[in-house]
Amino acid sequence: MLKYSIRRLLGMIPMLILISIVVFSLAKLMPGDSLSGEIDPLNTSPEYIAEMREKLGYNDPLPVQYFNWITGFMQGDFGKSTRFQIPVFDLIMEKVPNTLLLGVTALVITYIMAFIMGMYSGRRPYTLGDNAIAGFNYVMLAIPSFVAAVFAIYIFAFQLNWFPFAGSVDILVEEGSFEYYVSRMHHVLLPAIVLGAMSTASYTQFLRNDIIENSRKDFVRTARAKGTPIKKIYNVHILRNSIIPLVTFLGFDFAALIGGAIITETIFTYPGIGQLFLESVTSRDYPTLMALTMLLSFLTLFGNLLADILYGVVDPRIRLD
Amino acid sequence: MASSTTITQQKKPERSLSPWQIARRKFVRNKLAMISSFFIMLVTLMSLSAPFIAPLLSPLPDISKVNIGAMNIEPNGEHLLGTDKSGRDVLTRLFYGGRISLLVGFSATLIVITLGTVVGALAGFFGGFIDSLLMRFTDFVLNFPFLVFVIVLNTILYGIVDGLWVLIMVIGALSWGGVARLVRSKVLAEKENEYILAALSIGCSPFKVITKHLLPNVISTIIVQGTLIFATMIVIESALSYLGFGVPQATPSWGNMLSSANEPDVLQGKPWIWMPPAIIITLTILSINFIGEGLKDALNPKSLR
Repeated sequence: MLKYSIRRLLGMIPMLILISIVVFSLAKLMPGDSLSGEIDPLNTSPEYIAEMREKLGYNDPLPVQYFNWITGFMQGDFGKSTRFQIPVFDLIMEKVPNTLLLGVTALVITYIMAFIMGMYSGRRPYTLGDNAIAGFNYVMLAIPSFVAAVFAIYIFAFQLNWFPFAGSVDILVEEGSFEYYVSRMHHVLLPAIVLGAMSTASYTQFLRNDIIENSRKDFVRTARAKGTPIKKIYNVHILRNSIIPLVTFLGFDFAALIGGAIITETIFTYPGIGQLFLESVTSRDYPTLMALTMLLSFLTLFGNLLADILYGVVDPRIRLD
Repeated sequence: MASSTTITQQKKPERSLSPWQIARRKFVRNKLAMISSFFIMLVTLMSLSAPFIAPLLSPLPDISKVNIGAMNIEPNGEHLLGTDKSGRDVLTRLFYGGRISLLVGFSATLIVITLGTVVGALAGFFGGFIDSLLMRFTDFVLNFPFLVFVIVLNTILYGIVDGLWVLIMVIGALSWGGVARLVRSKVLAEKENEYILAALSIGCSPFKVITKHLLPNVISTIIVQGTLIFATMIVIESALSYLGFGVPQATPSWGNMLSSANEPDVLQGKPWIWMPPAIIITLTILSINFIGEGLKDALNPKSLR
């Protein structure tokens, strides 16, 4: 297990190198000097620009430039944002907590909804309630997330006035106070519900099918024969076995949340990583763009790896070597 | 002798149904799938005939013109779905938008299916070094954060090639990984059969074995997958256009029309502008998914329905 994990982790390195080369080439293909925001955009004298270009190494051969960039990158030097004139690292760090909060809340919502619906469906398969849940899930799966988000804003934020429609916190509340945290939760809830509802369907159907399958197994018959209440059989004996495979979904969710966050954050104008990414594309803020592309690629890779490893952890029958 | 001939005459020789006929019968019996097919046909027909129906349905059939006198009109008898902030008829744009959205979806699906099938079939059939080379490459494509790279690539290529085809090529080139894996696994299982050995032993070239013997046996899987990918591609197109990184703003597509909902004012007070594209996107995706499920059932010889 440990050996497998280490080998997979090492296997990520060539992948990351390849991605970094792709990102570097893409940045070089874009118009303008893309690696740094060091050149003062207000000073347009050709001598100044030529001097700065020489100093920053833009006249070096490409492999040397790549090597310099990647060395800096590994040490946490992501360059300086051309738009904000502050280090990209600080810029990203400023937005990370927001995205993290959104992602975690979305996951919690996914799990709660999937558990309630999945356990109901699994216990009463092929009934009206089960079919209704299946139908609901099918529609949720088909509606594109951005359409769902637009409808959610229209209905819950504008018509019913339950949630704010933009931002991550009220401007008026004082940072650190109790109201501040309430306001943050209030702002994150609607985007998180939309983001979380996307993956609820697959979780629910998986849990349902697993519960139905487990309810036909011998250990359930034994428990029944001994007179264990049905409720206890379902809530303790079966659920404990059916939860385990769900854990593996976590890894894939990681990658899905990244893609989902870009869309959801933009629609809800929620200041997180996804929104920063799109803004850096529109404003041609290349250092930020490159750092974020690398970061998001790394997270996707990491999520896939996590899923593979979790498979082996939760189900010892799967041999990983 | 005489009696045996009479028996054969009485019992007319009945030809058994071909697999495709069986599949068609199963599909026709599936109500949801049939309704969905009619809906998709209707949408396609309306989109294709947009230049002809538009003048009949609206007094402002020209979608490229801004009409200052007819801005933000609520739905009425003249404009069945109202007009948008530039005074363009929403219904007309919906028809024209369908052309773009369906075209992008269809072309991208074609690219994905072709690339995926070629890579998957080659890797599965030849195995060994070619297999591991192609599959590592597939892993590489699959591990890219899709949306991130589509947006970056689209920004670079924008302006070099016509916007629409950039989008089609970029999303096509980045999403064939899943199909390749699927086709490879199917080919791996299928090539163990004896008819493949027979075909090889009488001297069929690998190309002929793949196209004449292997692919016809995997085609049902590819068709089902293709339907589902078609739905995904339409979603991707509209999501990117919604975010402003897809089809150029001047060209109407369902995603571009929906992007007017980015303005809180339109979202809150003028639902007739953004609701029609939102609803038609959802219904189209839902229908295509139902058709896909129907095809999956119909083409599966083990399903009884």
